[in-house]
Amino acid sequence: MTAVLAKTEIESALAHRFGPAFQRREKQPVKVLPTGVSEMDALMNGIPRGAITEIVGAVSSGRISLLLSALAVATGQEETCALVDCNDTFDLYSAKTARVDLERVLWVRCHNGLERAFKATDLLLQSGGFGLVVLNLADVAAKSARRIVSTWWFRFRRALENTPTALIVITPIACVRSCAAIVWAVNKETDAWFAAGASALKTDDAKLRINRDRGPATTHARHLSLVTESPNRQAESLLPHSRLFRGICVRVSQERPAAWTGGPVKFSTHVYI
Amino acid sequence: MFACIYGLTLSERGRDAAALLVDLAFTFSPLVEQTGMDTVVLDVEGQELLFGSPTSSDPSVLVKPEANWTNIANEITRRATQLGFKVNVSIAANPDIAIHAARSNKGIRVIPAGQELIELGSLPLKQLDYSLTGIEKDKAEEIYETLRLWGVRTFSEFAKLPIAGIAQRLGQEGVRLQKLAQGKSERQLNLFQPSAGFEQALELEHPVAELESLSFIFSRLLNQLCANLNSHALATNELRLYLKLEDKTEYGRTIFLPVPMRNPKTFLRLLLMDVESKPPQAAIISVKIKAEPVKPRESQTGLFIPLAPEPDKLELTLARLAKLVGPDNVGAVEVLDTHRPDAFRLTRFRLNPRTRKNAGKKSPVGSEATPALPVMGFRVFRPPWRAEVKTMDERPARINSCGLAYVIRGQIVCASGPWRTSGDWWLKDVWARDEWDVAVSSSGSQQGEVLCRIYRDLQSEEWFVAGVYD
Repeated sequence: MTAVLAKTEIESALAHRFGPAFQRREKQPVKVLPTGVSEMDALMNGIPRGAITEIVGAVSSGRISLLLSALAVATGQEETCALVDCNDTFDLYSAKTARVDLERVLWVRCHNGLERAFKATDLLLQSGGFGLVVLNLADVAAKSARRIVSTWWFRFRRALENTPTALIVITPIACVRSCAAIVWAVNKETDAWFAAGASALKTDDAKLRINRDRGPATTHARHLSLVTESPNRQAESLLPHSRLFRGICVRVSQERPAAWTGGPVKFSTHVYI
Repeated sequence: MFACIYGLTLSERGRDAAALLVDLAFTFSPLVEQTGMDTVVLDVEGQELLFGSPTSSDPSVLVKPEANWTNIANEITRRATQLGFKVNVSIAANPDIAIHAARSNKGIRVIPAGQELIELGSLPLKQLDYSLTGIEKDKAEEIYETLRLWGVRTFSEFAKLPIAGIAQRLGQEGVRLQKLAQGKSERQLNLFQPSAGFEQALELEHPVAELESLSFIFSRLLNQLCANLNSHALATNELRLYLKLEDKTEYGRTIFLPVPMRNPKTFLRLLLMDVESKPPQAAIISVKIKAEPVKPRESQTGLFIPLAPEPDKLELTLARLAKLVGPDNVGAVEVLDTHRPDAFRLTRFRLNPRTRKNAGKKSPVGSEATPALPVMGFRVFRPPWRAEVKTMDERPARINSCGLAYVIRGQIVCASGPWRTSGDWWLKDVWARDEWDVAVSSSGSQQGEVLCRIYRDLQSEEWFVAGVYD
């Protein structure tokens, strides 16, 4: 009680000098950037601006598919985007097929330079004005990802605060830790191949359909099908390779919600004598 | 009233002396015409308030206006003498009369309005400067010859001839020359426009070899350059830097800006980063910076237009990124018009103009802007990973490939292919490959099942992993 009174006295004494410092800031509503995947947008609204979104998953888990979809939406809205490619693995043809406007994407190739990638991201965030910045660490070894110092993430979070920029970090393991506003864990459930043709070895069409219709099994999870509907559509695309590989079905789990909606949080204090 | 300054023997002293004469005229009036290398005319109307005789409080005491003009002429002569010029100065109501008076009379001459013919009537016709009326030399000489045959030799004789007869016999050129002789020609001064200083140079007392010292010199020159641009309501989209080095070589750099700017701080950082990336090979003894003047950027932002990076900041960021990862690794990508896999080139990243129509609107899923179904993403390995592939019935059955971050090793559980592609057979780097999409069950690693694209190079008969689906 005494401490509370003392705090009030100090605040009233210093209020005329540091008035705004003692006022509680009103939390601004979270602005989002759609991902372009209807299931994801319906459940999670999209990618929050002014915050870090981490997409975690193993190889072939559908992380880049989600990224391309978000990039297509952002460039479709005439936002200026930047992609910091740590391992120089950005594929232009799949991006073009996903209708990413490549003229609006600034591509920074870091050639396996992890530190360079972080410095480049920092420069882009400090510059400001970008709608979406992507830090692609998909091919970084898990051992290196674990060693990334937290100060980088704190620095990014601070630079992003109160800006309209959304930062997506793609990692093999969760490494952004508490600085991420949202963490999406992506897991491949199955892959699909066209039955037509002697080369096809496996079909999971029925299984995929069940997965899509199953709906949200948990509160923050979605099953997505990244599967081409018909062989003709694949043939029309710019990809010059396989006509039989259709895509994959993935399960996206939202590990960390964008905003807590479970009501006020209560803390209890125990004094042990 | 107009004053004419005629510099004696000035034409022999060259362009520098002519420029000094113009500078002298500008100290009296902003309305200056450089009629010739040795002749300058300036409008001195109102200068009597500065250089005229002091007015008396007694209204009965009148100061003659000629006295004021004489004071101005005296002041001009005094300043010219300080500069080392010997000049004739004349003041008249008509600029052409002032020119003729200055060229024909030594010292100072003030001609009141209406007394032009009295003062200059005795001048020979040869001194009538036809170029002031824009008449060509041949035509003017033809008219002078005709007048000589008529026995007309002076300004006053020519001025007294009837204008109708002149027009009938000599044409409009004759009429214009007669008005010039009468002092009744009407023309505006062809005002001298001082060249804008969009070029700044500095000779250094001592050679400079450090970038930090050079930054102060750049800063000074750029501040002056931007101030000049600002005063002319202009900006620049091209900066050129010329350095003279101690080893008597020259060093030049050009910075092209995507949009016109005039911010000296931005220019300074860009120049320093550019010089730092390719430093000169010797100490610097002279610096010159030149800016290409263009109209400034006109842009109006809207409430519903998405935010974009400021061009100044973006340019700086691009320069810093280029310094960090190399200039060939930053930019906007352009897919080349070829079937060769992964053919692209990086171009300079520019801000695309935003259209108000579509700006800020959410793209409905399934519309033209975004596909209804997400496209399967792919990651390319640059360069492709070399792989050991075991085949069974001419189909890949097992793969072993090692990359930097992980290993793709295991049984191929699903495969489709081959799709043969080839091209550029007319070039040295011909490419031909059989591509397969495979699912690898990497039981030995933590990756699980990996979907990747492998190919067999038909030239070398070797297998590679082109990339992974993700």
